[in-house]
Amino acid sequence: MDKATQDAFNTGNALANAAYQSKKRNVTIDPVTRLEGHGKIDIYLDDKGDVERAYFQVPELRGFEVFSLGRPAEDMPQITSRICGVCPTAHHMAATKALDDLYKVEPTSAGRKIRELVYNAFTLEDHALHVFVLGGPDFIVGPEAPPELRNIVGVIGKVGLEAGRKVISMRRRVREIISYFGGKVVHPVLGLPGGVSKALKKEDLPKFQQLATDGVEFAEWTLQIFKDIVLKNPDYVKMILSDTYTHKTCYMGMVDEQNKVNFYDGKLRVVDCDGKEVCKFTAQQYREFVSEHVEPWSYMKFTFLKQRGWKGFVEGPDTGIYGVGPLARLNAADGMATPKAQAACEEYFKTLGGKPVHHTLATHWARVVEMIQAAERIEQLLNDPEITSPDVRRAPTSVPKEGMGVVEAPRGTLFHHYQTDERGCITMANMVVATGNNAARIAMSVERAAKGLIKEGHVTEGLLNKVEMAFRAYDPCLGCATHALPGHMPLMAHIYDHRRQLVQVLEQS
Amino acid sequence: MSAAVASEPFVSNAPVSFPGAEESLEAPAPRKPAVLVLGLGNDILTDDAVGLVAASQLRNRFTGHPDIAVIESQELGLGLLDQIVGHRDLVVIDSVQTGRVPAGHLHEVDETHINTLPGMSPHFLGVGEILALGRLMGQPMPERVCLFAVEAEDSHTLGTELSDSVALALPGVVARVTARITEWSEGSATI
Repeated sequence: MDKATQDAFNTGNALANAAYQSKKRNVTIDPVTRLEGHGKIDIYLDDKGDVERAYFQVPELRGFEVFSLGRPAEDMPQITSRICGVCPTAHHMAATKALDDLYKVEPTSAGRKIRELVYNAFTLEDHALHVFVLGGPDFIVGPEAPPELRNIVGVIGKVGLEAGRKVISMRRRVREIISYFGGKVVHPVLGLPGGVSKALKKEDLPKFQQLATDGVEFAEWTLQIFKDIVLKNPDYVKMILSDTYTHKTCYMGMVDEQNKVNFYDGKLRVVDCDGKEVCKFTAQQYREFVSEHVEPWSYMKFTFLKQRGWKGFVEGPDTGIYGVGPLARLNAADGMATPKAQAACEEYFKTLGGKPVHHTLATHWARVVEMIQAAERIEQLLNDPEITSPDVRRAPTSVPKEGMGVVEAPRGTLFHHYQTDERGCITMANMVVATGNNAARIAMSVERAAKGLIKEGHVTEGLLNKVEMAFRAYDPCLGCATHALPGHMPLMAHIYDHRRQLVQVLEQS
Repeated sequence: MSAAVASEPFVSNAPVSFPGAEESLEAPAPRKPAVLVLGLGNDILTDDAVGLVAASQLRNRFTGHPDIAVIESQELGLGLLDQIVGHRDLVVIDSVQTGRVPAGHLHEVDETHINTLPGMSPHFLGVGEILALGRLMGQPMPERVCLFAVEAEDSHTLGTELSDSVALALPGVVARVTARITEWSEGSATI
């Protein structure tokens, strides 16, 4: 981007922000959406009135690094899990693994298994939340349904009250596993360098084993609902397969030694848009393989594959852009690690025309496949005799310097990286979060939707809804991506003509 | 306020019925205090913590009160359902940024003024949606709801201190909330 264009963007953005700030908005106070984070889309038209570029903006959260400096590294699992309430356990676990690396201590076998148990419980719960509450309404209630029905109450209207109860009850029970070990679900206190803080008592095992069995049944039931409601509806399937929601990029996901999907531990594997392995690396090597690109119009950092370089927002065989999350994990692995999930995975690829799947909206289906693996893994771990071993922690003895940890957060790969002084106090803290890893792909999705819906200056009805569907599949947690907060995100689109004059503002009601 | 609020949107969704809507989700829980004060927020995001700070002061004051429970919660969405269920009255303290009033201003709204079902939000359910959902599921949900929201100056910077304007407003916030919960809890004897 040349300087004149950049200046025009910046001026336009400043004007748009000022207009946004000064506009008398009819704000409905919704306490949990208290943060008024807003997604803003800036759309720039050419002289024919077609879309030249579209940018997706999010607000910025400030001060993560400053806040972390000088604090004991052991505080990081607590601090990072507090940044937002959406995926606390993912941050907690990535931070804990970074502490293992910082202190060069391997967790004990039982400690590792408890971490993996808790982590899979979190994955199951979070995915269920997305399927039924967040992204699911688009499909379960229907993308054309009026917005007032596209929510959890609408979902229950469609699947029935009993099913709704089942969802809420199962989610609550799964969260009991997390709170058993972590004390609190929102801000678990569990991970320590070298292990965990609490063992599983033998007498508590049967109740959790029952829950695990029910969890597998619940995940399979969810898959059946997805098949009945989504896959049997040709309109939905057509939408999943449509060009608007398709991008041929690379994909990254964590795999075990057999290249099977693993949420908690393993190596990062990247495949290209034909499904061929591009690279495979450990958390400690991430800077050799992943780099961040900055655009003047966004707080988000756009990650890309270092060896391929940043080539702009392009797709195809040479692109350095990759996706993360359920769609990417299934693409990047050779299969699922558990039998029922593997069967579901095979059906997924068979139905969608083989590997890799480039349809963003298929993420919703991949998420259900992953729910099955998470539930089966919980069951496996709870039937492992070692899970009740009291030997859950190995005390670290090394002098700390630098540590990196990685997990597959529900939304995708999450890296934590810390440096400390010899006392273990933070001198540098960095996170590369799932939404950052997906940022380029999300930007492409938003632009694609805008290009399809604006022609010759005419804005098609429902632009914002269609754009929102494009990025909701990623379940973007814009909170930590910009180090900003998620929440209710009233979408706004600002449309500028070829002279860079603001000509239209669309706001989601 | 009744289940009618929740069921209204389904008029156009006629084929769906809700057998057993009157049944409770789980076995009956022990009786909870009539009034729940729920402070919401994030304790490391500057002014976003104000709901938690106010609730913490109220908890110290009302500990042991038979009709008042005070919870500081960083939960979101469905996690709030378990906390809200079973209380007769709900008083929420939170922060908000409308940009229309000076920081420290206290907004006060009742349930009829919160958007019960504001359509799809990317991540969360709000208190309004939780109330609607709970009623739909046949859960005992609060009959009276009051939402206090303090206008924040800064909710986007990591920090554990309130901004000056919000810190100055805090005693007034606590006083207003105290007046409301005292009124509602005193009313409990006559209801």
